[in-house]
Amino acid sequence: MNIQFSKEQLALRDELRAYFAQLMTPELVAECERDMGEGGGPLWREALQKMGHDGWIGVGWPEALGGRGMTPLEQFIFVEEIMRAGYPFPFLTTESVGPVLAEHGNDWIKRELVPKILKGELLIAIGYSEPGAGTDLASLKTSAVRDGDDWIINGQKMWTSLAHFCDYTWLAVRTDPGAAKKHKGISMFLVPNSDPGWSCTPVHTLGAVRTNATFYDNIRVSKDHLVGELHGGWKLITGQLNRERLSLINFGPISQLFNQVVRWAGSARLPAGGRVIDQPWVQQNLGRCRALIECMKLIVYKQSWAMTEGVLEMADASAAKVYGSEGFIEVYRMLGEIVGQAGLLRSTCPQTTAEAGKIERLYRTASIITFGGGANEIQRDIISAAGLWMPRASR
Amino acid sequence: MEFGFSEEQREVQGLARKMLTEQVSAASLAGYDEYREPRFDQSLWQQLLEAGLPSVAVQQRYGGMGFGFMELALFIEEVGRSIAPVPAVAHCVSALLPIQRFASEAMKEAILPAAVAGEILLTAALSEPLNEDPGDPRAVVASREGEALVLTGCKTAVPFAAQADRILLAARTEDGVAVVLLDPASAGVTLESLQVTSFEPQCELLLEAVRVPAADVISARDGASIMRWIAERTTAAVCAHQLGASDCAMRMAASYTSQRKQFDVPVATFQAVGHRMADCYIDVECLRLTTYQAVSLLDSDVAATTEVQIAKIWAGDTGHRVSYRAQHVHGGTGIDREYPLWRYCLWLRQNEMTLGCSAALVAGLGKRIAEGEALFG
Repeated sequence: MNIQFSKEQLALRDELRAYFAQLMTPELVAECERDMGEGGGPLWREALQKMGHDGWIGVGWPEALGGRGMTPLEQFIFVEEIMRAGYPFPFLTTESVGPVLAEHGNDWIKRELVPKILKGELLIAIGYSEPGAGTDLASLKTSAVRDGDDWIINGQKMWTSLAHFCDYTWLAVRTDPGAAKKHKGISMFLVPNSDPGWSCTPVHTLGAVRTNATFYDNIRVSKDHLVGELHGGWKLITGQLNRERLSLINFGPISQLFNQVVRWAGSARLPAGGRVIDQPWVQQNLGRCRALIECMKLIVYKQSWAMTEGVLEMADASAAKVYGSEGFIEVYRMLGEIVGQAGLLRSTCPQTTAEAGKIERLYRTASIITFGGGANEIQRDIISAAGLWMPRASR
Repeated sequence: MEFGFSEEQREVQGLARKMLTEQVSAASLAGYDEYREPRFDQSLWQQLLEAGLPSVAVQQRYGGMGFGFMELALFIEEVGRSIAPVPAVAHCVSALLPIQRFASEAMKEAILPAAVAGEILLTAALSEPLNEDPGDPRAVVASREGEALVLTGCKTAVPFAAQADRILLAARTEDGVAVVLLDPASAGVTLESLQVTSFEPQCELLLEAVRVPAADVISARDGASIMRWIAERTTAAVCAHQLGASDCAMRMAASYTSQRKQFDVPVATFQAVGHRMADCYIDVECLRLTTYQAVSLLDSDVAATTEVQIAKIWAGDTGHRVSYRAQHVHGGTGIDREYPLWRYCLWLRQNEMTLGCSAALVAGLGKRIAEGEALFG
């Protein structure tokens, strides 16, 4: 037991910090700000490819797959630092779908697609939810029907985030409508978003983040686009979701925001005298946030360590997701209280400050991951069953 | 970064768990309920001493096992899991460790081997009324009489004071803070026993012109930092105890609700019950991680004031929430004295309030943040 980074890991962190300080030009920062922290713009793409070609995206990946051969902990340090730098990193592609493709993909996928992910040249959206299939994902209806050596795909997906600038969709489809258990009739495909049968319409959300409804109209793909075993998609979905849950909880940006608010409150003067930070209730909020974020940090460190050692527990991945997603909301609320009225001003408003504008937006977007990536109710079910061996009600 | 345990650590854990599971039971604890006997199982303590567990962090030259604070904290976590009636935190952490670190060679020779063998019992008086900062004693003052000190005042909540042969404590002097190892048999010492919620034997310690000879003085005026050193380690040890106790209470509730049936199904299958337990699991995991972090930093002698404060905030919050959730999902059984949960609830409360409650620690942490400390690296 030794909860400290090694000298080498600290050196890597410093190297990355310096690297991103250069990468994040004012123009790129402005573009990311305009895209509401989602990315997708031309400078954003250029930066992603630069990182890929500099060998950072796969820092923790095996060399055989084009990575640098370090461990998931180094990969985690990389993601933490890039998020801390304010770059909207497409972690769903690189940290959750990518590793599943590397493990279960066929030769074509491993040869053609995985290296492109690590080079920052290929982005993948996730197509799971449908209008009638959310938490009960296994009831999905989008279908793939065999036609000779090809498959014909038809259906509709909801909440296909980032799809409007991704290259492929990681698509869950029904391949065996007659399966006795509905989750045993599902397969995973990679569908090119460039296909004429693929279309999407935007869905605008409270936090101004754009997501999409996506449509699949008689899309023909070759059998190379099937990932893993036919009807064996459920295992890949749960594997991907486990990884997604971990990458959703990133402690870099929130620790950065905390530091920014502390510095602001330590310099801002109250009209009646004294600093904002001298008020007992402000210190109370900061103390609470500090203790909360510290745990977030330890939880994600432990998860990365567990992934490195191959001892990741399902209950702990779910615990990280619940704690992190609900913790973010609490922290945004408490930090927002400290910046006060400024926390209600949009970042586009010249009277606001950088940290207050960020809090205004984050507070609006924070609910997404309490239900996205597997609703927290389901995560709590997993925790009580897998972590405490409690029996579950049948559904 | 390493979240796993070494082979030695697993051995300490395994040995402690085995001995304590075998020797501590609801029946054996019942003998101490309502202060029928002082809550101190001397025979169990002697066996633990013989197995080397309380002295796991004492150097081999004084008879210890020569491991570190991490191994000691793992032993204390097991003491918490079993709520064993032994003075592990007081003797091993609040007294043995600082004597080994700060005392003169003569005092070490005189005290450590005897304390390791169980010939003498040690404790420390860290609390004063309305003052939880051991480094800033207010209620005990010391004047000088040559090299000796004369102490007057009072300490409170001194664990195992009536059983101890020596009590480590701090006194305010005109030019600093003195730390002494008091012989409670000295003239002018009065112990008034307290009936605390957990049944742990504790006393108020009253000092009326008590003369402490020079040989028993650990520091004549530079004791503030020693006392904060002790306070951080004792606080981390209380967190480890709380971790063991809350983990056990949580698992008791998980197991009870898995068997107890209502409407013909186990009550664990109700999502509302399962979710309360999932929240316990997350709280306990947070306490585990913050405690191990604090202990591991202290073990490496790295500054850990922030990390200890955070661990104790979690110890308070987790203890309180796990106690009430566990009681609740048990229904009446949780508070029935025929069932073992109630004693855990007493300990979760005891630890919550020991060496600073969550609110006070949040305020302390917030104050340090305002002073420019404790930001993220």
